[in-house]
Amino acid sequence: MNKKILVALLLLLPTFAWADGQWVLEQCTLTYHAAHPLHESQGVSHAARGKGVCHAGQCDFLIAVPVKSFDSGDSNRDLHMLQVTRGAQFPMVVVRTRLAESDLTAATIHADLEVEFAGQTARYKQVPFQLVTQGNQTRMSGTIPATLADFKIEPPSLLTIPIKNDIPVRVEMTWHPL
Amino acid sequence: MKVNTLTIIAVFSCLLAGSLSSFAQTSNDGPAASSQRQKTTPAAQDQTTPDKTTPSPAENLPNAPSSTTAPSLTDLGFPPEATQGNAKIQALLDKRTHMLKIHQRLGLITTIPLVAAIFSSAGAGGHNSSSTGRDVHLALGAVAGDLYCITAYYAIRAPKPPGTVTRGPIKFHKAMAWIHGPGMILTPILGAMAYSQKSNGEKVHGIASAHMPVAIVTAGAFGAALLSVSFKF
Repeated sequence: MNKKILVALLLLLPTFAWADGQWVLEQCTLTYHAAHPLHESQGVSHAARGKGVCHAGQCDFLIAVPVKSFDSGDSNRDLHMLQVTRGAQFPMVVVRTRLAESDLTAATIHADLEVEFAGQTARYKQVPFQLVTQGNQTRMSGTIPATLADFKIEPPSLLTIPIKNDIPVRVEMTWHPL
Repeated sequence: MKVNTLTIIAVFSCLLAGSLSSFAQTSNDGPAASSQRQKTTPAAQDQTTPDKTTPSPAENLPNAPSSTTAPSLTDLGFPPEATQGNAKIQALLDKRTHMLKIHQRLGLITTIPLVAAIFSSAGAGGHNSSSTGRDVHLALGAVAGDLYCITAYYAIRAPKPPGTVTRGPIKFHKAMAWIHGPGMILTPILGAMAYSQKSNGEKVHGIASAHMPVAIVTAGAFGAALLSVSFKF
């Protein structure tokens, strides 16, 4: 009898090992920061959607947000941002990352990110994110050290002075497992 | 012996199950993965071959998502029109930015003869005025007026994407145009009247005497419009 149980367990082992889990992005706030000698501006978007699929101990995450959903409080600036980032031609910012499922319980993770934006793909290695788990929700926050040069974006200028190359993007996300 | 046989069968079953499972994933996800790549590249048909020297996600990122399990853009539920590029709108935005850049440059250039015209007004009116002073003032005013008209043309003719709602400092910038626009029409007319009266040896009188106050209001509104988009208040 014990042998039969052992055989059954051995047969079921692959099924358990490859049990898939999924994560869904519940809330997200993305804030880009642009600096010019005369003033600084921030654009905020709450329109991101995301999904994580775990398989064999690894989780693939995908987060996407429409470029035009970023609101800086100035319609002229937003339209200009859309133009310089070629946001009508490449309307989505897509972020992909892969994390070990066991990392999702840690307080800090370092993620390798792949960001598609403005028709270009940039990679950011070991970007730190803070994780806080409450109930079945996991809040993740961090800053992506993006620059205009990473995406071959010509720096917009005001009064002939271009903005700074750095456009860090603050990420605040709340995920929950399905 | 029976136990060993059972164990061997079990191990082989596990291996077989594993192989079949991975084979099934490969064969099922092959086309899916390739279509996923097409879908995750926004507006693939509109892209003018982006200058990507980087291969696809799974190819060279150390811990890049595997193509077999990674979620795709279609999984996120965005409407298709939100994820597909629109070359027409991009062209419209490009034209708009190009025209507004010219508007900005010309606006800054216009400031120079405008300020110079204000300063030269000291020699054009009052008791110490001279015909040379009036001519210099007139010439500077005319240059400022012409440049202003060209500047305004580029702002008025710049295309605006449908559904755009004006928000922020640009609202004030546009509101100021309702003051400096009529002012830039009225000021030279009043100036011409004042010039004529002064040239005839008359004291500036009637509506022509409003030339200076109108010019001051106009220049003030122009300056406020310029500052409103230059500095954050």
